[in-house]
Amino acid sequence: MLLFIGWRNIWRNPIRSALTIGALAGGLVMVILYSAIMEGLSRQMVQFATEISTGHIQLHRQAFIDDQDLYATMPWSYMEKIEHAFSAIHIAPRLYAAGLASSADHSTGVLIKAVDPKRETAVTRMLRHVRFGELDLGVADTTESGLTRYNLVIGAQLAKNMKVAPGGELVLVTQAADGSIGNALYRIAAVLKPLEPNFDRMGVLMSIEAYQQLMYVENGFHELAIKVDDTDGIASVQSRLDGMLKGLQTTQPLDELGGAPVVRNWRQLTPAIADMLEMSGTIILIIGVIVISLASMGMLNTMLMAVHERTHEFGILLSIGMKRRWLLLMVLFESFFLALVAALAGSLIGSVISVYFEEHGIDFSGYMPDGYDWAGIVFEPVMKGYLDPVHVVNASILMIIITMIASLIPAWRVVRLKPAEVIR
Amino acid sequence: MFFRAVSLSVFVVMLTPFAYAIEVDELIHHIDRLWRGDTSQAMMTMTVKTQRYERAMSMEAWSRGKDYSLVVIREPVKDRGIATLKADENIWNYLPKINRVTKVPSSMMSGSWMGSHFTNDDLVKESTFEDDFDATITFEGERDGQAVYELTFLPRPDAPVVWGKVVMMIEQKSLAPYKSLYYDEEGLLVRTMTFDQFQKIDDRTIPMRLTLQPEDKPEESTMIVYQNIAFGVPLEETFFSLQTLKQRR
Repeated sequence: MLLFIGWRNIWRNPIRSALTIGALAGGLVMVILYSAIMEGLSRQMVQFATEISTGHIQLHRQAFIDDQDLYATMPWSYMEKIEHAFSAIHIAPRLYAAGLASSADHSTGVLIKAVDPKRETAVTRMLRHVRFGELDLGVADTTESGLTRYNLVIGAQLAKNMKVAPGGELVLVTQAADGSIGNALYRIAAVLKPLEPNFDRMGVLMSIEAYQQLMYVENGFHELAIKVDDTDGIASVQSRLDGMLKGLQTTQPLDELGGAPVVRNWRQLTPAIADMLEMSGTIILIIGVIVISLASMGMLNTMLMAVHERTHEFGILLSIGMKRRWLLLMVLFESFFLALVAALAGSLIGSVISVYFEEHGIDFSGYMPDGYDWAGIVFEPVMKGYLDPVHVVNASILMIIITMIASLIPAWRVVRLKPAEVIR
Repeated sequence: MFFRAVSLSVFVVMLTPFAYAIEVDELIHHIDRLWRGDTSQAMMTMTVKTQRYERAMSMEAWSRGKDYSLVVIREPVKDRGIATLKADENIWNYLPKINRVTKVPSSMMSGSWMGSHFTNDDLVKESTFEDDFDATITFEGERDGQAVYELTFLPRPDAPVVWGKVVMMIEQKSLAPYKSLYYDEEGLLVRTMTFDQFQKIDDRTIPMRLTLQPEDKPEESTMIVYQNIAFGVPLEETFFSLQTLKQRR
């Protein structure tokens, strides 16, 4: 009975109630949209952080982490053993070096990165990130003097700075592992889209075979990127790998200068991203409380007005014996229905818009064709939302709780009415 | 040339070997020409010792004035013919295997020269050392068992240099340097160069062996030993060109 009266009371002034519901629903839509965008960003972040070049887990030696020590390699047998020991992972070995790249008119310092194309493709999307040209890391041709030219792939900004394009020639000069001056000619096969800011500016990618001929680093690799098929299993793979490496070190000791092997997951490799993800939940909650509190001010105003208009009516009800707590309950029900209708409308509209964002995204490629980099990770220029139903339910509950708290003020006024005064 | 690179400045034409009170400017000006003269030609061996390898290279070098120099590697076979040309502020490397000349960009100036502990900057900056630094004689007297001058070089306010201070010890009698200390801007010793195996050539006492010792890597060093140096060799400016760089293999 009280429920029914409460419901009917809302519609005694339909325009005012509709406006209130609109304000509350609008607030809710904002919160749902915001959390969908944040969730989408977080998911994109994890995806870009891991799929493009990092992988889920990486293995290095301490001296390589500290100062990119060329000699801090792990033997190839380590890689084979790891490959055999785990079933549901993919691994990709990598080698690095610093060098000087020269085109016809330009010279600049570069970071040489060597990968195994077959393995790399199973772990990251790096090699599929081609902007111009065709990805090929094999032998390009042989010069008249009998020199083999390998293909290589370079970063977009580097290609721009050096004014080179696919098909062009690049000279690399570096100090090889034996102290000699490593130098060779290469053909640029492709230009990659931005992977990470450093690679974009100074990255040169070649096959491990080409690297070995330039650098004379033959007995191992610097980095092992690992993709775990089931992402929930990252932690267990990491700890198993840790244990396995300790065992390998006793049977196949490493030289002392390079330091111990270190296994790190993507959260440890890109701490800025991991911190951001931790924080985003709290940020959504704070923003939600602020937005909904503002919207519930509207509801507070509506209810105060409604109660004020009906003081006479309440007075009569009280004098004919209506219990005060019933009145309190009736006012609360009115607020509750307002909130409920707003929650239903808000979640519906919010979800529809979020699903639209999930499918279409917000496209910035018009003015940011290369995407943007943030915290050392390059994002694609299309921002995609992700609607998590749990977020919608949470936001609705949050809204109802806040509005109910706000409605205690008008309800309390009703309770404090003195019937003798208001009827007069 | 490289000798200069190495000395970064020190030297003096000998007036008399006896203790005249010597003027700073005079000392600097002459120290500057110790390994160089007007023109020079030299054969030398550079030995680079690192944690991982020890490697000796023999090279031939030419210089004219402070602005031009050319170094060509003769041994080992793997690096034979690799040449470095320095003209004014620029450095080019010639790589015979691929028959290409590459210019060393300014961003790579602090990089190692030919795998040694010298930097490309050492080659370039020596020609502006006098302009970039103010020198004073900060000590004169007995030290390390001999009469010495201690010269202290401080960078001028706007000079684009990496050193905060360079201190050079010169033996008074022969006016030959025997030690240089390089400090960074915080005043920490970064590297030490010692000079020995003195030899008298054309009235100058020249240290034939230079050893560069980086402070942060005590087990590493680069040593240069001159087999011979000839001064006053006829060398035109045109000799120090990209053409010569390619031909001098």
